[in-house]
Amino acid sequence: MATRREFMMGAAAAALAGSSSAAFGYGKPISKAMLAYFAGQSQDGGYLFRATNWSKIDPKWKRQLVQYYSPEPQGTVVIDTSNHFLYVIFENQTALRYGVGVGRDGFRWFGRARIDRKSLWPRWVPPPEMRKRQPDLPDYVDPGPENPLGPRAMYLYRDGRDLGYRLHGTLEPWSIGKNVSSGCVRMFSEDVIDLYQRCPKGTKVLVLKHLGAPIIDEAAPVDSQQPPG
Amino acid sequence: MNLKGQRGVLCLALACIMSLLAGCASTGGYNAQGVAYSPPTSGTNAPVQGGVNVAPGSEEDFMVNVGRRTFFAQGSAELDDTARTTLDKQAQWLAQYPSWKIKLQGFADDPGTPAAQKSLSGRRAEAVRDYLASRGVAPDRMLAKGYGRDRLVADCTDISCKAQNRRVITNPQEAADTAASVQ
Repeated sequence: MATRREFMMGAAAAALAGSSSAAFGYGKPISKAMLAYFAGQSQDGGYLFRATNWSKIDPKWKRQLVQYYSPEPQGTVVIDTSNHFLYVIFENQTALRYGVGVGRDGFRWFGRARIDRKSLWPRWVPPPEMRKRQPDLPDYVDPGPENPLGPRAMYLYRDGRDLGYRLHGTLEPWSIGKNVSSGCVRMFSEDVIDLYQRCPKGTKVLVLKHLGAPIIDEAAPVDSQQPPG
Repeated sequence: MNLKGQRGVLCLALACIMSLLAGCASTGGYNAQGVAYSPPTSGTNAPVQGGVNVAPGSEEDFMVNVGRRTFFAQGSAELDDTARTTLDKQAQWLAQYPSWKIKLQGFADDPGTPAAQKSLSGRRAEAVRDYLASRGVAPDRMLAKGYGRDRLVADCTDISCKAQNRRVITNPQEAADTAASVQ
């Protein structure tokens, strides 16, 4: 059941985005507990998105400057799927760290890639294999507050080939720090907007190796993380 | 950069304790040689300059919540929509914290002679300066300089290196630092 507040949020979003849908996340109902993760709405590029209620978020998932020892050059995006962190390498052994949600077991992967395409407020087209698993999914979801990709998407390529994996936003801030997606990396809406600014087309991406993950790039020197000590 | 060693050590110790409390040590991994490595603990992931509790108006606040880098396309000193979005945020921050001055450092990694690269990097820095001025940042708070193909963050022929090098860094400076660097 949609609450009155949710209905109003949806209606306001629909009015602004010119969308006819007021449902949460392409028709998924939203509970009171879920609503607590949002603090009103923010506007971006003519669309509304639900602002994250940071008081509900474990501080470790918030964007922050940390020490990080990595041989990767500045600007590289390093994704540690086991620990649910994404790093942008900065100077002086520091990095900007974001909390992320990553692939469910069975969808984990590692290797090197490159951001060859980026989009603002992407349309979401669920891939056929995902629709097979979840037949209730729509054919597509237009950009806007109900789009599960959120306000930004960055597309991972290797050697000119779309790997089918993206860095994108989420409608489910409670899923940050968990294994939930189909191999994509999901971020808070505010964070994916921020990351988009920091990653020019051509940005290197390294997904660290983890036990049991399928290898998608045999040649990649995958463990850039130095052992401590 | 203003990352003091002493504070770093303190933060590092703190992070050790925090990571133990948080139970970060969940999964390890294997390196390319199949040798197990430990999950990140001390040293890595230690918060820097307040970490998540970054002081509003500090240099780290600017790095974490605004961003210092503006990127450019090959051979171009034009600002695209993404660049303007970053610079709008910078202008807003600079309006909020008027004691900061900024040094705009332009770089190039583009086709052309060293002289052409130097000129291009200078035009990139000036494009940023002019845009910030148009957004209300007083010109006497800004210093723009081009460094050509110096200080590459990564050196390769691939776009992954070039894209990172074609940039302008907005460096917040204490008033005294800027006065000195104008010489």
